[in-house]
Amino acid sequence: MKNNIFTSREKSKRIWGVLFVVPSFAFIFLFMVYPLVHSFYLSFTKYNFVFDRTPTFIGFRGYIDIFKDPEFILSIKNTFVFGVVFLVLAMIISLSIALMLYFNTRFAWFFRSSIFMPIVVPISFACILFGWMANENFGLLNYIIRDVLNQPQWTRGWLTEPNTAMAMIIGVTLWGSIGFLTILFLGGLQGISTDILEAAIVDGANGWKRIIFIILPNLRETYVITGIWGILKALKVFVQPKVLTEGGPGNATLSMYMHIYNNAFVYFDMGKAATMAFVLSAIILLFSILNLRLNSEK
Amino acid sequence: MKVSRLVFYSLLMIISVFFLVPIIYSLLTSFKTEQEIFSKLITLLPRNPTLASYKYIFQRGAVYINWFKNSTVITVVGVILTTILSSTAGYAFARLPFKGRELMMVFILFIITFPVAVLLIPIYIMSYELDILNTNLGLILPNVASLLPFTIFIMRGAFKLIPQEIEDSAEIDGCSVFMTWLKVMLPIANNGIIIVIIYSFYVIWGEYIFAVTLATQESAMPLSVALTLLKGEGWNYGVLGAAIILSIIPPIIIFLAFQKYLVSGIIKGAIKG
Repeated sequence: MKNNIFTSREKSKRIWGVLFVVPSFAFIFLFMVYPLVHSFYLSFTKYNFVFDRTPTFIGFRGYIDIFKDPEFILSIKNTFVFGVVFLVLAMIISLSIALMLYFNTRFAWFFRSSIFMPIVVPISFACILFGWMANENFGLLNYIIRDVLNQPQWTRGWLTEPNTAMAMIIGVTLWGSIGFLTILFLGGLQGISTDILEAAIVDGANGWKRIIFIILPNLRETYVITGIWGILKALKVFVQPKVLTEGGPGNATLSMYMHIYNNAFVYFDMGKAATMAFVLSAIILLFSILNLRLNSEK
Repeated sequence: MKVSRLVFYSLLMIISVFFLVPIIYSLLTSFKTEQEIFSKLITLLPRNPTLASYKYIFQRGAVYINWFKNSTVITVVGVILTTILSSTAGYAFARLPFKGRELMMVFILFIITFPVAVLLIPIYIMSYELDILNTNLGLILPNVASLLPFTIFIMRGAFKLIPQEIEDSAEIDGCSVFMTWLKVMLPIANNGIIIVIIYSFYVIWGEYIFAVTLATQESAMPLSVALTLLKGEGWNYGVLGAAIILSIIPPIIIFLAFQKYLVSGIIKGAIKG
């Protein structure tokens, strides 16, 4: 008898299990699984959404052809440059801020709030604000350089020169992501056991020595988390060049993601865009697998 | 010692200013007169504070109110759907055995490693065929779908933390499976629910990529895309600043109210990468 109740409960659990999962899976299937499969198929075709009625299968040719597209190669190069500079600066700055906040007790609420505030500002708005501050004629940046620092020769059209345009893209990305990375580093710092720190003090390690020999080596896990996060973020950079520079001047800030977007929704070359999207996915997947492996090691 | 203190605090101050300047500057500019905005001489504080920019938005800028409405509808409906779906599916993945459960969780987490760029093309074609391009619904659906894998994962974790005994005692008291979930488990998992709500709110409110592809008509755009198109169309920087300030009020309220949860949520979110 008891056994019977038990099994009917199990049965009921199974039924509710399915009922609870089906709606979510319908969403995920329709808007992720199916598009992924469809896109994979399209990546082996030639398909212009405006001119071609149906996709034409061309096999791997698309995957070879995209590497003959100089803009694609350039977009890989730009993404790489962006990623390296962004990652190095983001790690150094957010680790430094986290250390400062970790030791700081006064006005902590103010410092934390102002550093974390950009997290809630949509990145496209941040780009509008940066674009405005970088404006050649009435932007804040040139004003400060010209009238506050009194160095008029340094003023320029920040978004119309290749190197400074890239610098602005990196700047706005840093502005938007350092708060987040700082929180991760703070989490890492709080995870260091107080025993280790106290032992170091007993051994006579002073402030700087404590940071260099005890704290920094103990943040290894956090470097992995933040580093991979930064790499994935850099590979997917899109909104910043789209809003701030439209990929320009020339193609100086054209990222891979933006090149894919342009091919799909400006030239409507869906086949080619899908091919490039899968090349990007392969790179992202590589880092995600690395992330999983490093995470499971600890 | 004193000097190093001073250096330390000035450095923190400079960093804080860097993060605050864009927001404060646009706040201050939104109270400036038009002449002042375009003058070569920039002052931080408005010389003749005016509400003209805000008036412009509410009187002549009926479009702005429409964008705000789009953002609100998409976000509110999206957050509600995401929360309901992830707290049901999350419970199933944590506590209700069904065939292929573990495999499915792994599969879902694998799917989100793909960038939206891959999904965008078929979603665009599908939306075109379903005739939901340029509608709020057309943005709600893909937003919810792309949030679900991660939010289900969060809710699964929240339910897993609840001791099995609590569930067993509800069962002995005669609660059905559904009632156990609704009346016993869901209230205990409220931390997870709050994280899901905040996270999905920020993501949808600021979402740009789906919006810029699937809402190309001005009337269907949410704020995140619409405001980027305003450069030099009678919307001077004062009005644009005012529009941005109004548009970040909802996320900032949530930020101030839930700062504590936000931080723990982000640390949990780091797993996603």
